[in-house]
Amino acid sequence: MNRGPFIFLGVFIILSLTWALVINKPIQESGHLSPIFDAEQGGRLPMNAKGGAAQGKLVYQEFGCIACHTQQVRVSSGFDLQRGWGERQSVARDYIDQTPALIGNTRLGPDLSNVGQRRSDREWHLLHFYNPQITSKGSNMPSMPFLFETREIVGEPTNRALKLSAEYAVADGYEVIPSRKAEALVAYMKSLKVTYDLKEAPKSNDVMLEELTAALENAK
Amino acid sequence: MNRGTQRTIDASIRFPLVSLFKAAVCWMLIATVFGLIASIKLHTPSFMEECQYMTYGKVEPIFWNTLIYGWLFNAGLGCAVFLLARLGGVPLKQGVSLMIMTVIWNLAVVIGVIGIMLGDQLPYEWLEFPSYTAPIFFVSFLGIGLWCAMAFRARVQRSTYASQWWILVALFSFAWIYSAAQIMLVCSPAQGAFQNLVSAWYAENVFGLLIAPLAFASIYYLIPKTLGISVVGYRYTGIAFWSWILFASVAGAAKMVNGPIPVWVASVGVIATFGLLLPTTTFSIQFLGSLLSRFSKIWDSASARFLFAGVVSFIAVMMFKIWGALRGSQEVVQFSIFDSGVNQLAMFGFAGMVFTGASYFILPRLLNKELPSSTLVDLQFGAHVLGLILLAIGLISGGIHQGELINGSTADMLTVVNTMRGSYFLTSMGLSLLLLGAIAYNVTFFWMLLSTRSEKEASTSLIEEAPELEYTAS
Repeated sequence: MNRGPFIFLGVFIILSLTWALVINKPIQESGHLSPIFDAEQGGRLPMNAKGGAAQGKLVYQEFGCIACHTQQVRVSSGFDLQRGWGERQSVARDYIDQTPALIGNTRLGPDLSNVGQRRSDREWHLLHFYNPQITSKGSNMPSMPFLFETREIVGEPTNRALKLSAEYAVADGYEVIPSRKAEALVAYMKSLKVTYDLKEAPKSNDVMLEELTAALENAK
Repeated sequence: MNRGTQRTIDASIRFPLVSLFKAAVCWMLIATVFGLIASIKLHTPSFMEECQYMTYGKVEPIFWNTLIYGWLFNAGLGCAVFLLARLGGVPLKQGVSLMIMTVIWNLAVVIGVIGIMLGDQLPYEWLEFPSYTAPIFFVSFLGIGLWCAMAFRARVQRSTYASQWWILVALFSFAWIYSAAQIMLVCSPAQGAFQNLVSAWYAENVFGLLIAPLAFASIYYLIPKTLGISVVGYRYTGIAFWSWILFASVAGAAKMVNGPIPVWVASVGVIATFGLLLPTTTFSIQFLGSLLSRFSKIWDSASARFLFAGVVSFIAVMMFKIWGALRGSQEVVQFSIFDSGVNQLAMFGFAGMVFTGASYFILPRLLNKELPSSTLVDLQFGAHVLGLILLAIGLISGGIHQGELINGSTADMLTVVNTMRGSYFLTSMGLSLLLLGAIAYNVTFFWMLLSTRSEKEASTSLIEEAPELEYTAS
């Protein structure tokens, strides 16, 4: 092993082969999925995100929400279904429209794959972003006051203003208005829901067991 | 090779090397500060909440990226250049061009940090720097790599030592993984879920194929140098070398367990992680065997002490990595702060301590000055060791507990946060101690750099080398 080229070559061969095995092969096999058209479930699956939500995804990315929140549901381990974070396993086809896909690998907060289904109230999300203590006392999520503007009420109060309880109210004569970014982020949160079924996505261990039993019965 | 030749060699690389270490110690301080801020935010979320440039989601990636591309890359490269020059036995040319390349690299890190603060971050682990910094990193790294390859070719001592192999691996692999990751994530992104796979593969390889090899290179060199013995079981180095590269380059896929990609990919990753047991055992026997056979000497030398702490951290890190990849433990620790804890132990504890130890060997020789204060070195060592222990308890044992709650129960997330508060506090205390150590290191470094040489230092060669140890094995 006294020669540089020998080491270079050896390392090159190993890295190429392992890359081909764990990166390239899975992508060749199942990294070119196309959407499914299912009239019963409302057309194209997965459904396309709307414009406002796409803006909100950028905000989500900008503030690094991915550092604490995942967007993937597992059925074969953990208690994701029991927690109400989803109804079925997240599969590759769910993410085909997402670049970047904000899947994440740390859960300091809840999974957000289906947050739009759990929380569909715009006001709740706005209050939550303004100060998480209002809606979730004791949370360690950072508040994001910079997504809101506290301004003097001129004439009538705006109906977009946050309805703050006495404890969190701002000074008299002032109101808190969500910025465009805050509204976009809420639109993104509300768009996060997996409401359709995919054939390849296991629902839960019980359902899989039922399906297997049924298949066995048929075989007999 | 006599001391005179050594001094000529050292002089040829003094300029770029000092600037590399300057960058390294500054980034070490910056990274630790950001790590501390991120950690404080976990138990006191109101800390700096008004500042939109310092949200947790921004501070956390800044911490990791400055830690890796700022501190450890500069420090590791500094050690590598020194080893290439010394082991090659010839003064190196074109030091200025190396310095220009490293300055560009560090500028890219600065731009990246500002970019993250302004909100341009990418959502991929350890690749959060905005996409516009990628070409700068790539070009400067290409320059650095070519320079090092030339330095290796120019050697007069034809037979090579393990340190040199590891340096070559680090340089070549990083060019490979960085370009592959950038292409598959930014230029022509892989489809949805597979971006997560590429990202996990990259992050694991940054440790396994860039940072760890540079640290191995330093350890193989410093053991004979500081202890006066050749590495125990050196003839098994080849096995450890090739098996490490093979298994480490696949291990990242293990993170994909239960995720939205084909199941077999994660299984291959788990097997590979388990395969790392082979090189880890070899390294442990070599490094610990050597260090323990001269145990009394360890406490005489600053370098050997840091080296010892680094080796112990390395073994702990690998045990946690291998344990954490097993199916049963994956189901507990997935998505918890366990991984972050193991990675921090790997970066601060293993690589950080080894590079620091190496710098305490290199700097006095480079500058021909003594370490200004052994108290400061002791303080740094104590603070770092204690800090690492607190960090490990807070994040690793805390992470296991957190994982049990997240993955093994339906406990409310607010309850989990409440339960974890103690662990987060412990982590902050650990990082405060690391910060104290980093300050002591900075003071030592700049004191040494700025002080004028004493009469003794100016007139004589301080360091009496044993030249026969320069080529310990071949």
